[in-house]
Parts: sequence; structure tokens; C-alpha cells
Amino acid sequence: MNAKERVMAVLNHQKPDRMPCFCANSTVTYEQMEKVQAFWPSGHEKGEDMAKQALAAYTVVGFDAVRVPFCQTFEAEALGCGVKSGGTEGIPGIAHPSPYTLNDTPVFPNDFLSRGRIPELLKAVRILKKELKDEVLIIGGIIGPFTIAGALVDTVPLLKASFKTPEKMRPFLEMGQKAGNMLAKALIEAGADMISCEDMTASPDLIAPKTYRDYEMDYQTAQFEGIRVPKILHICGNVDGIVAWMGQTGAEILSLEPKASAQLAREKCGPDIILMGGVDTATTLFMKDVATVKAGSEESIADGIQMLAPGCAVAPGTPMENLLAMLEVAKAH
Amino acid sequence: MKILSDFSNIFKRYDIDLEKVGQAKQISKDPILQSIAKFVVEGDEDGISPAVDEALKTKTPLDIINDALIAGMNEVSRLWEEGVYFLPQVILSSDAMNIGIAKCEKAMGKSMERKGKVVTHTAEGDIHDIGQVIVNALLNANGFEVINLGADVPVDKVVAACKEHRPVMVTGTALMTTTMTAFPKIAHQLKAVGLDIPFICGGGAVCEEYVTSFDLGVYGKEASQAPGMAEDALTGEKWSAMRGKWNG
Repeated sequence: MNAKERVMAVLNHQKPDRMPCFCANSTVTYEQMEKVQAFWPSGHEKGEDMAKQALAAYTVVGFDAVRVPFCQTFEAEALGCGVKSGGTEGIPGIAHPSPYTLNDTPVFPNDFLSRGRIPELLKAVRILKKELKDEVLIIGGIIGPFTIAGALVDTVPLLKASFKTPEKMRPFLEMGQKAGNMLAKALIEAGADMISCEDMTASPDLIAPKTYRDYEMDYQTAQFEGIRVPKILHICGNVDGIVAWMGQTGAEILSLEPKASAQLAREKCGPDIILMGGVDTATTLFMKDVATVKAGSEESIADGIQMLAPGCAVAPGTPMENLLAMLEVAKAH
Repeated sequence: MKILSDFSNIFKRYDIDLEKVGQAKQISKDPILQSIAKFVVEGDEDGISPAVDEALKTKTPLDIINDALIAGMNEVSRLWEEGVYFLPQVILSSDAMNIGIAKCEKAMGKSMERKGKVVTHTAEGDIHDIGQVIVNALLNANGFEVINLGADVPVDKVVAACKEHRPVMVTGTALMTTTMTAFPKIAHQLKAVGLDIPFICGGGAVCEEYVTSFDLGVYGKEASQAPGMAEDALTGEKWSAMRGKWNG
């Protein structure tokens, strides 16, 4: 079985030769950058370097999938947000002030797909497709509606609106929905085999579960509509309070942090949903040693994880041996 | 009791699976103070202004601050810790409290007396100043003057603010693993300029092992620990002693 077949087997509810191991989020580290001689910030800006760094997930680490991009700013930038470079060590962030206030009527740009760094992102996917053909799964990353809305009007005003004037969130959630959907289709067109949606701001750490149920769930569902490849939904933190609804958005795969219960996700979402996740990227993968990573990975598998993965984006300073330790556990299952 | 039954109406919405049902306690026996506290608990930024104006006719500004505004915020903090309230509500309540405090301070003709200063910031590159918002609210509610540097703050700016304000402690929040590497740099620079103050680091991406790996660092597991830590720092407790007390 090659890497892609391995992942697809799990998705088709067949038995893979071993457990797949890859990530819904970025797995780029400084060590990998050295190995492939492609660095930040260019890996966030230029298609060639982006592809090189993504490839490292397969060629250097041995994961079953590669993923672009490595930050959460592509849609926001194309919708009018300023972007701050993360320099050589970090990822780009959204600059202040935000382009809109909640009282504005946002306008979706007609040339969305040719704005900002989106053309470079699509170029990276085309390069990856050429390199990997159908041997390794290519994941294209999009951002969830609530997180994009948070970039457009700033997170704190959006959170306040979620209780005081929730209807005012709708035009911005709609922008986010449309942006992610359009980007996903373009990524697939360029060669992506899977779409991974990160929706950090929709975490119950930030919003009330009822806000997810009454607002975000519909927009997330609409964002996934018409996307013909498998979709991962990743929300950070402990998502126990919303996992049932995450399972109703149309995502075939839920990516969970170990703070969330895979067992509960299974109970709430039924037998068909595929669960990926594994060890904590901060407390374990970044900070601890091989033995702790292995123990954490085994624990997640015992909890019901079917595809082993870092629980969230890998910290770029994460030691290679810890990523390899995780892969080793997957190989033994 | 009428007010309490009003709260039960608010909580009718919390019928969702896995969400906890809770109820705000009565905060003051005095009906005027209770009504102000209720605006804080409900996070009503619009309603609180006229209510405080009205209350100032019969109550002292200090009584309103201590027994209604801050008392209300403490109740919000309790509801949040118990999982009844979510972050947006804490933010709304904190804003309402601050509007009320500003009104009272204006009536007093001076700022309310604060116990000491705390500099708070969210790490450079991190746009999620969410944890910090709560830390600010709780410190404020407990009588500390918060020097709020906001989100995405460069190392130099944190050190400069500490030099200028001489706070009893400084806090840093990071939600992303990519950004917390700024913390040891800040600690190092603070030490270099002779500011031996506790540096409380917390947030989603941060863990105890990391924070206690550099001098000055004390790990803040929950935002709710911030006032207690600030009280310790105020009494002159050193970071090493605080680490022993608050960390494992």
C-alpha cells in the first residue's frame, strides 16, 4: 500500500496495512527546513519553497500526507486583511486594525483567487501533484467561516457580537464560508486530494457551544458543500461540547486535540466518522521526549483515534525524533 | 428575588448537551447596588451607564465600585470557572464593569486606589489575546492597575513597559506554540536590566515545563490564578517562591 492508498483505505472503512500518520495542520520544523533548504518567510510566500517544505513531511519525516499552507492568513489577506510577516522563525499573522467593523457590509472580491498569495499556494499544490502523483496524499488547507470572520472584524468584537448582536455576524460568516469554499475548489483543481479546514476561533475555549450550533455549524456545512474530496474539520482545544455538531457539517474526518475525547466523538458522531489526532503539540511533541510521545500516541489510539496525528499545528522547534517516534507507533498498528 | 428569577430566564438557553446550567447569586442586599451588579453580570454595556449615574445620587462611588461593579465581576468569574459562562460573556461583563468604574472615578475626581501595577501582554505573533482579556478583567476586578499592552507585542516593548511602570509582576499569554519562544527572551532581558519580577506565562500552547525552564518564569495554568499571584507578588514574594507555591 502506498501512503495515499493507506489513508484512503481508512476513509473507505477498509483495513489499511498499518495506521496512517499525518497531520491536518502544518508540520514544518526548522530541522526539515534545513534538510530541504527552503526557509521561512519564503515558504509562506513562494510556491516553490512552499512545495519544498510541504514535501519534507513525506521525504524527511515519512508522513502519509503533505499539506499546504502553514499559516492561517491566505483567505483573510485576499479579503482585505493586512498580514504581518513572521520572519524566519514564525508564521504570518493578521495585522491590526481589521478591515471591517460589525456595522459594515463586506464586499466579496470577484478576483478572490488571484489576490494575495493564493496564486502561490495553488502553484505549490500543482508542484506537489507533479512530484507525488498519486502516491502521497496532498492536503489543501482552508480556514473556517468563524475564524475568517474573526480576522475581518477582529476576534474580540466578534465574540461580543456572538452574545449581543449575533445576526451582525452573518455577513462575515458568509464571506468566510464563500472564501473557504472557493479556495477549496481551486486547491482540488490544482491537485489536492483532501481539504483540511482549520477553525480555531470556533473552539469552545472562545465561543459558547450554542454559538457553534446556532450560527457556525450552518456556515461550516455550506463551506463544505460541493467539495468532492474528503474533508477534515480541525477545531483546537477541548471540543467535547460541540463535537456532535462538528460531525454533522459534512466532514468525513474530525481532527482532535488530546484535550478532546475521541471516545465521546465516536459516541456523538456515530461509526462512520473518521477520527484523527494524537499527542499534544505543545506539552508533548515540542517539550517532551520519545518515550512520552509514544505513550501519548498509544493513549490516543486506545481512546479511538484511527489516524495518528499531531493534535494541532506542529511547533517549528519540535525535535525530529519526536515526530519519528509518533510515526513509529503508527507503524506498529 | 425578582432579579434572580430574571437570571433564570437568561439561563433557559443553556439547555444544550454538555453545557452546564448555573445561576448567578445575589450580589448585594441593597437593591440599587444589586441592580448595578446585575448589569455587570449580564454584560450590559448600554444599561450600566445610566444606572451608575442614578446610583451616584445616593451611593458613594467607592461603594458602587467595590460592592456592585467588582462584586459583580467576581460573580462572573465564578460562573466562568464553573463552566456556566463562556468567554464572550466574560468580555462583555468586564467591559460593562470598566464603564461603571470610569463613571465612578469621574465622580470621585480621581482614579480609584489600586494595589499595584501588573503589565500584561500576548506574545509577539499571537493574535489571540483571548486569555489575556480574562486576566485583565480579573486583575482589574481585584484592584490591580493593569498596564494592558494588548496582543502581538514585541519583546522590547514588554521590557520597556516594565522599566517604565515598575509593575509587581508581568504576564504573558500565548495560544500558539510558534509564539511562546518570546517568553524566555523577555525573561532574559528583564533580568539583564535588574527587574527581578515574577513573569507569569500561560495560555493554550504554554506548559509548565517550558515556563519553569527559564528564570523569572511562573506557569499560570488558569487565568483565575492571576489575582492570587498578583497578591503574592505585591507582598514582595520572589518568583522562585511563587513557582514553588503555584507550580508543581
